[in-house]
Amino acid sequence: MLIVPTREVHAPNVVLSDLREKIGALEGAPRRFARTVPVCDAIDDALPGRGLPLGCIHEVKGHPASVTAFAGLLSARIPRQGAVLYIEPARSLYPLGLLPYAVNLQHWVHVRARRERDLVWTVLEALRCPQVNAVLAALKTADLTFSRRLQLAAESSGATGFVFGNMASAITRWRVSSIRNFNWSVELLYCRGGRPGSWNVAWRNGQLESTDLSRPMQREQITAQAGRLAG
Amino acid sequence: MSRRLLCLYLPDLSADSAGAKQRLIEWCNRYSPLVADDGFSGIAVDITGCAHLFGGEEALLSDIQTRIRHAGHRVRGAIADTLGAAWALARYSKQVIVSGSELPQALNPLPVEGLRLPEEITRALRRVGLTTIAAFQKVSRQAIVTRFGQATLLRLDQAFGQAEETITPYRRRAPYSARRALAEPISTTTAVEYVLLDLLKELCTRLQKDHAGARRLNLDCYRVDGIVVPCSISTSKPVRSVKHLIRLFSEKLETIDSGFGIETLILSVLNFDRFDPAQLAFAQFNPDRLENIEALDELIDRLGTRLGFQHVTRVRIRESMLPEYSVEFRPVTEPQLPSALWPEYRLRPVYWIDPPMHIEVATIHPAGSPVQFRMGRDIHRIVKAEGPERLTPEWWRAEPLRWEIRDYYRIEDDRGCRFWIYQELRVPPSSTTRWFLQGHLP
Repeated sequence: MLIVPTREVHAPNVVLSDLREKIGALEGAPRRFARTVPVCDAIDDALPGRGLPLGCIHEVKGHPASVTAFAGLLSARIPRQGAVLYIEPARSLYPLGLLPYAVNLQHWVHVRARRERDLVWTVLEALRCPQVNAVLAALKTADLTFSRRLQLAAESSGATGFVFGNMASAITRWRVSSIRNFNWSVELLYCRGGRPGSWNVAWRNGQLESTDLSRPMQREQITAQAGRLAG
Repeated sequence: MSRRLLCLYLPDLSADSAGAKQRLIEWCNRYSPLVADDGFSGIAVDITGCAHLFGGEEALLSDIQTRIRHAGHRVRGAIADTLGAAWALARYSKQVIVSGSELPQALNPLPVEGLRLPEEITRALRRVGLTTIAAFQKVSRQAIVTRFGQATLLRLDQAFGQAEETITPYRRRAPYSARRALAEPISTTTAVEYVLLDLLKELCTRLQKDHAGARRLNLDCYRVDGIVVPCSISTSKPVRSVKHLIRLFSEKLETIDSGFGIETLILSVLNFDRFDPAQLAFAQFNPDRLENIEALDELIDRLGTRLGFQHVTRVRIRESMLPEYSVEFRPVTEPQLPSALWPEYRLRPVYWIDPPMHIEVATIHPAGSPVQFRMGRDIHRIVKAEGPERLTPEWWRAEPLRWEIRDYYRIEDDRGCRFWIYQELRVPPSSTTRWFLQGHLP
């Protein structure tokens, strides 16, 4: 497996980072979080590997349009060359809407599986393929056994699964909802080793930007800007 | 309905031009699935129930003759209820289409050569004065058999339809096929898979030798009770990997009803394409990655076999502003066409509603932007509206798209939900304009 750390961990203390590594090794985390993609500066701080881990299953809930765009833009950031499979029971994806999110439709394969058992089979088969980067699946629910099978399949091939439904087990759980002013509210509901939280973000200039004014970095930026204006 | 047979007489085609005749026979399959070499210099086509597709027997006959003449062959055809009669009419009669009751009348004046007999028998018949078919009516059947043999009587009976005559239709031979006859009938899926693996190994070796790859394969399982159970698969690209093909088949093998057992299996490649061995780049020459190179193709084939290839698609952007036309979901099996460039400032929804949902919209003044809309029981107060983006029908489209001018708006309601809605504009303007919800923006 090709290991591409897309961002280095900035540890303030050598002792602390050593300890973290030891604990991580016991938990089996480094293998899981070795490859990550950045989500958004503010959100990355809350994730253990400073980014969204690849090669595992993420549950993303919310309106189908928002979750598709969110998962689509994250799958476009995976550096490995590979396909993105979009699997749904009825054709409701309109791919042109994804173009502003830096999605390359050339890599996308749309699969329509009408029956529920065909759908789960397709998701599992797709996740097992080493040439697949990401699987976006409109699965309604997955029980514990099936969730684990999906997770094992994703780990074996390195593909990342975004499931838009209720998963009994997932590495991270997200809720994405559209809020006023063409923004999103992104909630991290669960992440082992991470800090759940809620952020308001907007898609600007090809990246997700936090629009929360309460965040310290934002406040600094505003003071700096104000200073410049005053000066 | 009685049988109808068409016989073509091609005097140009001698025995040494077997290839040309073979191609003509294959070509004649466009008229009927039952086409055969008549054993002389001609072709027999069973057109029972086929003539109406070409506008009747006369039209069919003139069509087939014109086309063959254009190809540069001399040809004469005839249609009758029996192969013998059609054969004789094509060669010796002016009348070319004969139906049921007219048959004896049409056949009687023809010379004895019309009976498809060996030359020495025809000569013997002529010597005793039996020059026309009508002359046989005066001779007893017993005499014909004793003097000229059983075959002469049979040909006579076949011409008049008193004896059955079948044609052995030509079937396109599969370019590659392998067969296993088993000593004991098998019935379990595992056993079938085992035999299939053996057959696949044989065929794949032959495909490799010819630099070819299979696109469509068929496995015929001959059961002990005489029933043939077919099982076929197709692939999105030429394939000759045993591992890949056996996985595609294993999806289907479970559906085979083996009854009391299968005694013979025939695997044939129905379609194939050129498939040259790939030259691996140095970076690819890594045993771990070697098997991964075709992993995606294998996945797509497996998905296509189970779900149908029309459901496994790639997205192509077409050169059209109309939302219905600008996106095409193209099956992976079809050759890829280049995508158009989409102007990104034209924002489109991600979630598509088909057909568009009728909604009731309130505007401040008739041509103004919407302020509120109702969908079912929910009332959405619109906070932001961007638009209109006017899309007009594209007149150069062949498909009749009966929609009027549309004014599209991107709107956001007070809860932050974003929609893509449009207003239908009618010419001339009418008082009732209708609004539709076309999709959801992310």
